[in-house]
Formats: sequence, C-alpha cells, structure tokens
Amino acid sequence: MRSPIIQCQRLTHIYSGKVALSDVNFELDASEPIGLVGPNGAGKTTLLSILSGFLHPTSGTVRLFGHRPGAAQLIGKVSALPQDAKLDPSFTVFAQLVFYARLQGLTKQLAILEANRVLEAVSLKEVAHEKPLVLSHGMAKRVAIAQALIGKPELILLDEPTAGLDPFNVRTVRAIIAEQSSVTTFIISSHDLAELDRQCRQILLLENGIMQPEKISINEKQAATRFITLQMESCPAREVIANLQALEGVLQVTNPQKNEFVVAYDPGLQANMDLQLIQCINTHHWQYRQLSHGKTLEEKLFFRDVHPA
Amino acid sequence: MNPGFFNRLSLISQFELKRGFATRKGLLSLVTFAVVWYFILLYPLRFAAELLNQQKSLTSFFDFLGFGSIQQWPIPEFGVFWHFALIIFPMLSITLAADQTCSDRERGTLRLIVLRSSRDSLFFGRFAGVMVIQALLISAAALSTLALVLYRDTTLFSSAFPDMLAITVNLILAVLPFTAMMAALSANVKSARQATVWAILIWTFLAGIISVFADYLPALYFFKFLVPGYQLSDLAQLSGWQTLQLAYVPLLQSLILLALGRRIMARQAL
Repeated sequence: MRSPIIQCQRLTHIYSGKVALSDVNFELDASEPIGLVGPNGAGKTTLLSILSGFLHPTSGTVRLFGHRPGAAQLIGKVSALPQDAKLDPSFTVFAQLVFYARLQGLTKQLAILEANRVLEAVSLKEVAHEKPLVLSHGMAKRVAIAQALIGKPELILLDEPTAGLDPFNVRTVRAIIAEQSSVTTFIISSHDLAELDRQCRQILLLENGIMQPEKISINEKQAATRFITLQMESCPAREVIANLQALEGVLQVTNPQKNEFVVAYDPGLQANMDLQLIQCINTHHWQYRQLSHGKTLEEKLFFRDVHPA
Repeated sequence: MNPGFFNRLSLISQFELKRGFATRKGLLSLVTFAVVWYFILLYPLRFAAELLNQQKSLTSFFDFLGFGSIQQWPIPEFGVFWHFALIIFPMLSITLAADQTCSDRERGTLRLIVLRSSRDSLFFGRFAGVMVIQALLISAAALSTLALVLYRDTTLFSSAFPDMLAITVNLILAVLPFTAMMAALSANVKSARQATVWAILIWTFLAGIISVFADYLPALYFFKFLVPGYQLSDLAQLSGWQTLQLAYVPLLQSLILLALGRRIMARQAL
C-alpha cells in the first residue's frame, strides 16, 4: 500500500497569540500539481513553512514521506521555494547553487552540472556568475525556483512561484512544472487562480487558518451536474440567461461577472450541451469569446454556495 | 547521527572560509586587520620589546602597568605580543563572529540551506568556519612576531618557536568561548550589530553585576566563571606552556555556550 507523501494531523500554529493554523488535518498522495489557495493571512505560508521545516508547529504532527519536516532523510527528497528568501549577496549565483547541490550530496562535478541544468531550466545561464544584488526581482525569483529544482526532488513546495513574474516567465515556470510533474509532486501556493486552474488537478483551500473540508477537484467528468463557462462579448444578460435557461437539460444559469455565464446542466438529459449553447448563441446573433467545460477555479472558490436547484 | 552530518558541517565551514578569504567583504576585513596589526607590530610591540631588552631595570614600571609578567617571557617580543593579543583577539572575535547566522536568517538564506542540511550542521559548521578563520589570523600574527624576533636575532629561533606555539594554542582557546557566545547570540538576534551590543553588555555589565553581588553572596561567584574571558586576567600573569593550566576554563565555557546556542538554533523560526 502506498503511504501518503504528506500527513498533517491536528496541526495548529499560534503566532504571538494569533491563530495562524487551526486543527488542520489532511493527507496528500503523490500526484499532479496541487494548489493551495486562500485569502491573505489564511495561513498558506505558515503551512508551507511548517512542511519545509522552517517553523515548528505549536501542536499536532506532520510527516513527509513518514519523517518529520527537516529530517535528514528528506534532504534531496523535499525542496521548496520559500516566500521572499534571498541568496547570499556575497557569492555568485552559480557558487551558491553548486554549494546547495553539494549539500544535497552531489560530487563537485555533478554539482556543477546540476547548477548549470537548473539555471538553464529557468533561462538564466547568462547571470550564473553575477551576484544576487544585480538581479531584477523576476530574475531573483527564477533563481530561487532554480535552487528548488536541484537534484529533482520528489516533492517541491512553491510559495507564490509566479508572483512578480512577467507573462513570458510565467510560461517558463508553467513549462518547468509540467515537465517535472511526472517525477515530482508540486504543491503551489498562489493567488493567481487562473494559473492554478491551468496547472493543478486538486486544490486545498485554507481560510482563517482552517483547512476547508472538501478538496476541490478540477476533474468533474464523473459528476451528476456539469458546468460550462461561457464568456460573451457585450450582450443583454437577462435575455441570455432566460434563453439559456429554457434549453433542455439546463439546471441553472448564473452570471457571476459581467458577460460571463456559468451553465449548470444534467449530462444525462443533454450530453452535447456545448453544441446546444453555440446553436442558441448563433440563433440570437450574439458573439461569444470563449466556451469552456467546467467552472473556473475562481467560481468554485467564490461561488461555492451556488448549487443548481 | 546522520552519516552526512560531518560532511555537511565541513562543506558549510569551507563556505565560511571562502566568505572570509575570497569575498570583497572578507578581504576588506583582512586588509584592515593586516594594517592594524602591522602598526602594532612596528611600534608598540617592537619598541616595548627593545625597551625590555635594553633596560632590564624597568620591572617596577611594568608592574605599575599591570604587565609585570611580560618579563617572565624569555623573549620580550612574545611577552608584549601575549598581552596585546589577549585584549585584541577576543575583541576581534566579537566583531568577526557576530554574523554567524543572523543576517542570513533575516534574509531568508538560512531557509535555503536548512532544506539541505540539519540545523546542527549549519550551526556547528558556521562556528567551525569562523574558528578556522580566527586560528589563521592568530597564526599569522604569531608568525609575524616570530619574524620580528628573528630579524633581531636569528639564533633565538629554537627558544622563540615553542613560545609562538604556546601563544597560538592559548589564543585559539581564548577566542573559543567568545566565538561560541557570538554563535549563540547570532542565533537569537536580528543583526550583527545587535549581537555585538549584547556581547558587550554580557561581557561588561553581567561580569560587573556578578562580581558586585558575589561579594555579598559568594555562591554567585560560580556564574562569573561562565563569562567569556573570565580567565584572561589570570592568564596574562602566566608565561610559556604554563598558560595551558587554565585551558579548561574556555573549553568548558565553550561547551556550555555551544549547547545553549544549539538549543536556540533548533527552536528558532527561520
């Protein structure tokens, strides 16, 4: 039987009287990237810091691969991109990456090769021999991501990996995660819901230090109710809702944002709802921008109370 | 203990050596030390030694200054060096060893290191690295004093060399508890400046307060034993290999301070 890679039981952390995490319980198996979301101050960074061994929890137990965070057995197996952690300004980027690789047990030659590999992965080979102070915010972030990739760990905890990156480098990070996710489980904390929506098949939601009971799964193919998200060009919202609601199989139509409609339907009554919707749009000479199956992560998080009748 | 513990400790201390000798900041400190030491060697040390060598009747003058034991050293240069070094190197230790972990912790760099090493390897590795740097500086200062002696009289090598070794070993032992104290402080405070301020407070006020209260309650005298440098005034009165008589004091102090620092480091949020 495969044991979970992360087990948290009754995890609580209190910062000078303020509860940052309260009785958090969850288990995660090795899988495709897992998102960790929640508002500011929800406890995401605290949770990742405890998992990384930077913080000791006030109470509760945490096990990664069966070991407590920070255990020697986890060296090379677990890595992290800590929020706001910077490299030492006295040494070059390359010297520090080689040093980290050597601490992970690589020989000098292998450590040099590995430092080159991870710098190439984040497209930063040209700054290898620069000191961290000359790097821009985005470059420093990519170097921090590079250090997390050293030695291809089995679990990488990424705290806000794309914050402050330009779209091109967000794509680079996305590609790295996609490429390595066959051998590595990523846990990604982020406020960029669209990005998490693309990368993660499973989402953990933290609110006020409390882990919400349901893990939000992106995969809805087995669900009795399915959703289609429709983004329209400028259109008469009431009319659109009324017409979509009249289609066979439609359970509910909501309008969470301007020109965006979420259609809940019963696939047993209407399997080809996407075609029905396009036909309806065409009949009324409306213009649509995008039609996608499922709800966006943003809707799942913020409109969780909306259930079809 | 994990088989990689000493390997990582060694890698971390080697990295500290690079910081001491191969970075701009480290080189600047080295150059400053070399310049200061050059002037100490050239003026106070050489002149005092010449004075002692030529006028043996200055006993009362040196006794008056509290440096009477200088004359017990067969080679006056080493007598003077011993007294200077007992003041300079512990002070140097407080500044040189102040930033063992604090600024890296504030910057988040320690997080990147503890992902790949135990906190123990990090704490003891940094301590070992700073100790090696200080040992090299002490050895360089002692060798330069030896060179000064040989410049005066090359036949003194056989008697000067053992003195140099005794002083080097003793000075390394003398800075050991200061470095351990700075390791413990650095694990707890936010900056090197804070660590230095705390070290001065501990070194002066705590020692003073303990002395005052120990007059009323002699049992408190034991705590004075825990203050780094407690043995230095007694040590200054000894010469040659006799100086190792008090070696147990810094060794015990270092063990206690390192155990305390290790505990702080283990519990500290990074």
